[in-house]
Amino acid sequence: MRIFLLFLLCAAFASCNHFEFSPNQTFDKISLKDVNATNLKRLGNGADDDTVTFVLTGDSQKSRDETVQFCKAVNAIKGIDFVVLAGDITEFGVLKEMLWISRTLEDLNPPYVAVIGNHDETARGKETFLHMFGELNYSFVYGGIKFVCHDSNSREYNFNGQIPNIPWLKNELKPSPQIKGFVGISHVPVNSEDFDGKLIKDYTATFAQTPGFLASLNAHTHNYQLYYPDNSGIPYVITSAMANKEFLVVQIINNKISFERVYF
Amino acid sequence: MREYIFKFRFVFLLLVASSVKVSAQNFKFLIPDQAIVQYAGSIGYFSGGVGYELFGNKKGNLDLLYGFVPGNKGGVLHIATAKFGYKPWTIKLKDWGKVYPFNPAVFVTYTFHKDLSFKFPSGQYAHDYYYWSEALRPHLAFSSEIELDAKKLVKNIGVKAIGLYIEANTNDFYLINYLQNTSALTITDIFQLGVGIRVKF
Repeated sequence: MRIFLLFLLCAAFASCNHFEFSPNQTFDKISLKDVNATNLKRLGNGADDDTVTFVLTGDSQKSRDETVQFCKAVNAIKGIDFVVLAGDITEFGVLKEMLWISRTLEDLNPPYVAVIGNHDETARGKETFLHMFGELNYSFVYGGIKFVCHDSNSREYNFNGQIPNIPWLKNELKPSPQIKGFVGISHVPVNSEDFDGKLIKDYTATFAQTPGFLASLNAHTHNYQLYYPDNSGIPYVITSAMANKEFLVVQIINNKISFERVYF
Repeated sequence: MREYIFKFRFVFLLLVASSVKVSAQNFKFLIPDQAIVQYAGSIGYFSGGVGYELFGNKKGNLDLLYGFVPGNKGGVLHIATAKFGYKPWTIKLKDWGKVYPFNPAVFVTYTFHKDLSFKFPSGQYAHDYYYWSEALRPHLAFSSEIELDAKKLVKNIGVKAIGLYIEANTNDFYLINYLQNTSALTITDIFQLGVGIRVKF
């Protein structure tokens, strides 16, 4: 009898969605859907916000404990409009890792969006990301600034000359009366060996030729860096990894961009 | 080389000849002792296969399973599994059954899918760029099984016993995540469940 009770207990435990079909399944009963779109809806367009302030972080892979602390640190700062997780959400590109990280990031007061990283594209991560977060290339406008988030993980496509997708970028960076400035956000920075060497010139020139282009923001290297790959004067900034307990607070006022390194 | 081939053929013929004579005896070990059907447990939406009792004490078990995850459950995946389990403890339930309360197991899965490679292509990535295999996954598992004596339930169906089990498993991916994040993740986060039926002949 006692054994049967034990079995019942196990079954009850089991019913809380612990039945996994495969670590490589791209969704399950409780996995979230369209996280980016949902959070951007919550963010709104910030039409009356003349001070755009957001947090840039990345590489949360294998750093669940640090992500919990990260959320507390971000919530303690006043005036953060949104948070960008610039890729490598996961280490192995599996659903469970994306679920775990999103579960933690739900504690953030401001809405967050995720950009795909190279680790997220291993295994079936691309499909899983598409299902859970949304498109790999997408953009949104907040406070008159257009944020152009894109896939720059060229190595994952064996440097096929299509990633980053420059025609798509050119189209997104077209001038528009409602948009004062542009910010590019992706995982792999242009100065990395994982960025398609054939596209560097075209990529940086595309940004340089865009009036009001403020900065290119990345992660991937796990270390903060500010550099200028060309003479356009556009800053290229890399944020530190979640594991290093450091993130960037980016502020845009009157189309002037500034960066502050924050440690937690 | 030719000599070797000849020798090999000779040996092979000898083997075949001898096996034909006593095939029933020699290849008996190929006949499975159990048929298995499992739901979930990280090896398919449903999986099925055969089981072999190992060792003289029959406490060891080798299960070979094929599993499938359909598209509407997050697939499409085809999964081959080889599972080695051990039943260190047995509790007798009068004369109608047994309980194996805690059975550790290890198993490996190979998942067939175009996005999953055995090894990351060396032309594309430097050595050790990624350190794991996408398709081959080692797992660690624990199961509890209740075994009902079939003869006590129904007579003459050619089945010795029916085992119902529940199994919790984790894999290298989840363990690495857990071990580095013991405050944000719990053991129940990384262990995933499956249930199955084992029919013993």
